[in-house]
Amino acid sequence: MSVVHYSAVFFCVGTLILLDVRILGIAYRNQTLSSVAEQLRPWFWIGVGSAALSGFLLFAVEAGDYAAATPFRIKMLVTVLAAASALAIDWRVQTWDRASTMPVTARLIALISIVLWLGTILVSVEIPALTGLG
Amino acid sequence: MYDVVLAGCRWLENTPWGVAVRGSSWMYPLALWVHFVGLSVWLATSLAVDLRLMGVGSRQLNAVELSTGLFAWNWIGFVIAFVGGFLLLSAEATTYAANTGFRLKLIVLIPAALIWHVMVQKKTQAWTETARTSAIGRWAGLIEFVLWISVVSASVGFLLTNAVTRP
Repeated sequence: MSVVHYSAVFFCVGTLILLDVRILGIAYRNQTLSSVAEQLRPWFWIGVGSAALSGFLLFAVEAGDYAAATPFRIKMLVTVLAAASALAIDWRVQTWDRASTMPVTARLIALISIVLWLGTILVSVEIPALTGLG
Repeated sequence: MYDVVLAGCRWLENTPWGVAVRGSSWMYPLALWVHFVGLSVWLATSLAVDLRLMGVGSRQLNAVELSTGLFAWNWIGFVIAFVGGFLLLSAEATTYAANTGFRLKLIVLIPAALIWHVMVQKKTQAWTETARTSAIGRWAGLIEFVLWISVVSASVGFLLTNAVTRP
């Protein structure tokens, strides 16, 4: 289960970061945003799904201890926010692609999304160090 | 031979960065974070091309478009993962060197996966010239996918048996 969780997390965080850097204009400039988004979307959501499922099973083993640990609560909060940023990007991507230049909001959301996803990993690696769980 | 490796490990553990990561409660997780961030970028960019070669997922971009667009990010991810991994190794090199999961990962799996990866990167163009990815390309993609997942598996096996990350 750990293997599934790690692999799925790396995969979905990575694909979303790629989309974010495309929005920021520092990758894939010769492809349209929509085509990059279309290409990455199914992979990203399958990654999120498997990460959530395997994460839940890992959580279930020591659910009480995890739920009581502050770092774990912070992790869940950051993860939900990160997923929300991904949803926001998914929802707006077509509109952003039609604009002649990338809107500032788009760049801002992409940047926030990168910070949130990297933040999720940061809180996760701190959980065993701070609580002894994991 | 093993003596030389052990001597190298002891030297690594006594480097300023090795001492710093080992002696601090927050630097080890931080190095792990750097390693994971690099891995996210590295694995996603590599596996994306593999999956596209296999024909799994959307077909907006072909494998060459994905591969060339991802090339720089692919190796940026690798360098970040390498730096993080090097810091982690320096903290407790002798413990790592004795762990079977770690030996398998570093001596067998990573070299194999890396060589295969570079080959796939070079060949993707040729495999994609026909409208459908050639059969050899599909298999090559599948093999690279499996190789990297086995690298992650060995690493997780090692993580779960390592004293520092399992206090």
